[in-house]
Amino acid sequence: MGRMAANKMICPKCGDEMNHHADKVDYGAHLDAASVASADFGGLLQEVHTCPGCGNVEMRAASG
Amino acid sequence: VARFALDAIRKKDGVTTELIDIREIPLPTDDAGEAIKHAPFADTVGRADGLLLVVPEYNHGYPGLLKHVLDTNLKEYIHKAVGICGVSAGGFGGTRVIQNLLPVLRELGLVTIFWDGNFSGAQKLFDADGVLLDQAYVRRMDQFLKELIWMATVLRYGREHVALE
Repeated sequence: MGRMAANKMICPKCGDEMNHHADKVDYGAHLDAASVASADFGGLLQEVHTCPGCGNVEMRAASG
Repeated sequence: VARFALDAIRKKDGVTTELIDIREIPLPTDDAGEAIKHAPFADTVGRADGLLLVVPEYNHGYPGLLKHVLDTNLKEYIHKAVGICGVSAGGFGGTRVIQNLLPVLRELGLVTIFWDGNFSGAQKLFDADGVLLDQAYVRRMDQFLKELIWMATVLRYGREHVALE
């Protein structure tokens, strides 16, 4: 089981389980919040999650 | 050209769209990026499955204002379809602005389609009443939109149902 399957994001708008479909380096993010995983990428590595229920999109720092 | 594209999209079944005129988005110029995100624009892009950009070419490049606006969002773009209609006064249909814009869109997380809109001689495309003078553009736009809608549909499914790993 991958790390996302064990740590699914719940949509804050409708409560559905969201789908983690991308990782994106956010060069504009404040790097004081960068996780260990981001050190290799030169910016904050963000997970991108979309809700199949309502289409809401959320990002969170990758957990490594 | 944007109104022509908008009319063509609105004729497509199952598609809803709206026109965003970036001149109407009030953004400061003493900062950039998500720090100056404009909530209504972000909400519109967030709800969209795809974007069609109508972009005039200036000195082979894209307008600085467009880059300024695009830079204000990130998560709203990821794995969404985008197509570009280049507009130029000369005879190359904005091909150079399209080529210059592609790497920007890619970095923003958008997925570009392989059809472009190329509108040459912008000042002669429409008559005084805004009527399109060359009907070849109608068929070209239809092909462009079919690809954009297909890509937007597939990517929406992917965003919602296909996990990264």
